[in-house]
Amino acid sequence: MKRKYAAAAIATAAALVLAGCSSTGEPADDGSADGQNITLWLMGGDTPDELRDYLKSEYADATGGKLTIEEQGWGDAVAKLTTALPDAANTPDVTEIGNTWSPTFTNAGAFTDLSDMYDELGGDKLLKSFVEVGEVDGAQYALPYYFGSRYNFYRKDIWDAAGKTVPTTLDEFGETVTSLRTDAQSGFYIGGSDWRNGISWIFANGGELAVKDGDKWVGALSSDESVKGLEQFQALFTGASNAPVTEFDSTPWVNINNNDATGKPEAATIIAPGWAHWSIGDLAPDPADSTKTIATWNDDVFGTFVLPGVDGGVAPVFAGGSNIAVSAASKNQAGAKELMKIIFSEEYQTMLGENGLGPANLDYASSLGDDQFAKALIESAAGSKLTPAAPGWAAVEGAGILEEFFGKVSGGGDVADLAAEYDEKLNELLN
Amino acid sequence: MTTSVTIPTGGELGATASAIPVARVRTRTRWSRRFRPRRVVLTVLAFAIAIAWVFPVYWMLNSSLLPNRTLQSFIPTFLPIGGSLDNYENVLDGGSFFSALGISLSVTLIAVFCCLLFAFLAAVAISRFRFKGRKAFVLAVLIVQMLPAEGLFIAQYKMVSSVGLLNSVIGVSIIYTAAVVPFTVWMLRGFVAGIPADLEEAAMVDGLSRTQAFMRITFPLLAPGLVASGVFAFLQAWNEFTVALVLLPAEQMHTLPLWLRGFIQASATRETDWGQVMAASTLVAVPVIVFFLIVQGRMTSGLVSGAVKG
Amino acid sequence: MTRILADDVATATPAPRASAPARRRLSVPHLLLIPAILILLVGMGYPLVWQIITSTQDFGIQQQFGKPADFVGLQNYITLATDPTMWQVVGRSLLFCFVTAALTLVVGLLLAMLMTAVGRTARLTLQISLLLAWAMPVVAAMTVWIWLFDRRRGVVNYLLDMIPGVDMNRFSWLSNPLTFFIVASIIVIWMSVPFVAFSVYAGLTQVSDEVLEAAQLDGANGAKRLRYIIMPMIRPVIMIVLLLQLIWDLRVFTQITMLQDAGSKASEFDLLGTYIYKLGAGAQDFGMASAVSIFVLALTLAISWFYVRSLLKEDEQS
Repeated sequence: MKRKYAAAAIATAAALVLAGCSSTGEPADDGSADGQNITLWLMGGDTPDELRDYLKSEYADATGGKLTIEEQGWGDAVAKLTTALPDAANTPDVTEIGNTWSPTFTNAGAFTDLSDMYDELGGDKLLKSFVEVGEVDGAQYALPYYFGSRYNFYRKDIWDAAGKTVPTTLDEFGETVTSLRTDAQSGFYIGGSDWRNGISWIFANGGELAVKDGDKWVGALSSDESVKGLEQFQALFTGASNAPVTEFDSTPWVNINNNDATGKPEAATIIAPGWAHWSIGDLAPDPADSTKTIATWNDDVFGTFVLPGVDGGVAPVFAGGSNIAVSAASKNQAGAKELMKIIFSEEYQTMLGENGLGPANLDYASSLGDDQFAKALIESAAGSKLTPAAPGWAAVEGAGILEEFFGKVSGGGDVADLAAEYDEKLNELLN
Repeated sequence: MTTSVTIPTGGELGATASAIPVARVRTRTRWSRRFRPRRVVLTVLAFAIAIAWVFPVYWMLNSSLLPNRTLQSFIPTFLPIGGSLDNYENVLDGGSFFSALGISLSVTLIAVFCCLLFAFLAAVAISRFRFKGRKAFVLAVLIVQMLPAEGLFIAQYKMVSSVGLLNSVIGVSIIYTAAVVPFTVWMLRGFVAGIPADLEEAAMVDGLSRTQAFMRITFPLLAPGLVASGVFAFLQAWNEFTVALVLLPAEQMHTLPLWLRGFIQASATRETDWGQVMAASTLVAVPVIVFFLIVQGRMTSGLVSGAVKG
Repeated sequence: MTRILADDVATATPAPRASAPARRRLSVPHLLLIPAILILLVGMGYPLVWQIITSTQDFGIQQQFGKPADFVGLQNYITLATDPTMWQVVGRSLLFCFVTAALTLVVGLLLAMLMTAVGRTARLTLQISLLLAWAMPVVAAMTVWIWLFDRRRGVVNYLLDMIPGVDMNRFSWLSNPLTFFIVASIIVIWMSVPFVAFSVYAGLTQVSDEVLEAAQLDGANGAKRLRYIIMPMIRPVIMIVLLLQLIWDLRVFTQITMLQDAGSKASEFDLLGTYIYKLGAGAQDFGMASAVSIFVLALTLAISWFYVRSLLKEDEQS
């Protein structure tokens, strides 16, 4: 009797193990998108509701199928993509993906080859740097979805009072903001571990995070150019910022608005993604919802400028944004591709621009408008740079290596030693 | 539970587990009731600790009633004067809270029920019987709960997905039950062992069958143990979010911790709306507090009935 | 004593129905175990086996997308054993676990004794306040705590700053590993003490007043009564509560990961739970993550060995 139970238990376990090991199965695709119900994963709340509704109704019109949009939090997205994308039964058919993660998932074979429809979707007009991170051996897998790059917001009142003008070189920028720092006010508020902004100083000095050496990626933090940029950043952080060295992904605009306790801001300058301008300005209770505060932009008090380069011009800042791709495991390839066509249509691209998101197809960049925010966004995006297209880049981000590295640099560590140490750590994960 | 045989009363683990304040407090002898300065100091201390301990809970409630505008101030507002339920209205807007509440309740109740049933049977087996493989089972149960859960998500996903239970209440309930069963077996084992088997024996002499004796004599005495273990399983399942994150990817299947986390993350790109986040936190806490209050009554009556019959 | 009595009786119970077939004595307990064993096999068995297998493989994101995994033997474990970061995390976790578990136990014990020493109103107030803290869902509780310790608008800094001569304005608790783990420890203690206090209190109510009175008449003072009468009686409760706190505090995850979101993700702020999660979900090195998990299992077993041994001994005796 006992043996019988044991046998049953083992059989059950074995069945489960076998079931768990079975492969995900081949996508069954009859080539027609008609009536296919598909799922789109969007990361965070960046895509406004109006655009989501547009996608749903256009997709229904085009195929008669239903488009379900599921929003995933940025913080948990990698774990969810890692588990769901290989699983044919549960994969999203189309997914937005952080642009810097694209190389990792693309190299792992997570996405469908879109080369045959690349030209139809925009081809050469699509933002080049974003296309590159989604390419393997010349074939396109993940395409740009939207971009947004970072520029500076500053307090005109404080700058004017100190007799400062908008700087034209990176050195001048550093000197100016350092001179504006007091105990109660950062000249330039930047978190010590904020690598997404900090890497601009590496890029501006001609450095790289990692370079391809033959067919292997190697860390390049310890190159002379990178070290120079990092030292410049270190001096800037210690001289101009009151933020903690561990702060990595902050909401810096709270510091440039007036603080209601003192009536003064805590920062004279910040760097932030373009859409931050909605949160910057004179604060007053929201007439529509008394629980909230709204900020009204005031041109007399606030201004914008792009981060200047080492020898003038524009510094290459981190190109924020997302890519979008079709899951290779999806059973609804035709429907998914139909959705891609809608996303890359003139109408949708224009809608992205009108909502302050840089459209993937640069032909429609004018939809961003021509106010100072649009100009600053386009100007900074022109020189912007992405993180390396190394297969292990998502792992580097996931492991928090760069936050840690920048934190140590900001903490006053020896830049050359730290750079060599973290190059080693990068090398372990990049390939 | 240990080898200590000097304990005159049974159910040491029972004592551990009856971790709910119970009505059964022995009447202290008269001399301890007399006024003494030391007692005044201790009473003041007890109130001070109570206030300190409950402060975070109070702060959550207080903030949930205040407009975010007030909360953004650098000077804290300690009383919700001029407060309103606006934050709650905003949070409940859209109804995603109630959907998450439904999922959380289903998952938790299934897990608690299965867990108590399975663990109870196993606890009876290991504390009332000697048999081959008993020690192996006890050890396995002990070890299995020491495995850290943070590395398991891929395996759990593969398993649940392969049987088509992804995005289903059943799939998550199975994982939760399995995760809590070891601890519950462990807990109930002490309770069962703490109830003298001679009570049953006496009942059997009186003509009841073994099963009848168990159901009529031992089971009522076990009620507090079951409730205490149930509370435990409830808290575990209610609070869990890493497994739920991976096994319930669809938005409409989110449990309350996922809903709350999503709520916090969604507001992360803007400045955190603390008023709403605190209102959302309060809403997640309320069902647990209600559950505790219900269970506390049951537990007291369980103890009373146990005392009468015992 | 009752337990051993119970065991004796249990072994003897089949006596009245001695006519029943002998095999029945074996099958009843096994039948009772089936549901628990099944659910454990289903819920934990496969993941455990997967974890053991994966810990011997080079398993990254490529393997997750179908590329066959290479068997690397014990290479993952060797890499771990030679990685200074790993040992720092282990050391930090052990320190955090022991300090937090010990403090939780001491505070819980003191609160339980306080409950027995005060009147009904004070006791109920204390109990309700502990109960509310215990009922707070972890995610909700963490959110409140993070806000309490917020650099800018936190009440903690506000109140500390009001003390003359103390400048805590903008003090960043979560930026420095030491203060980070002090905050983490305070939060974990706050969450865990109710369970300990109620458990010990329930144990204390079992201590007979008559015995205590008799001891007092015999001239035993408070400390002596505590040491020689109360402590031995509640020792089993304390043992098991301590063990549970050790196990939980060693693998504390949710609290640390949420604090990291608010503070720093650097490796100086990792404990074993977040380290495993970073290796797996973050760096997508599932082979290494599995190896660390197995290591943590062994470490937990080592820490709780005092308890397992007594459990085994007890089994042998009966």
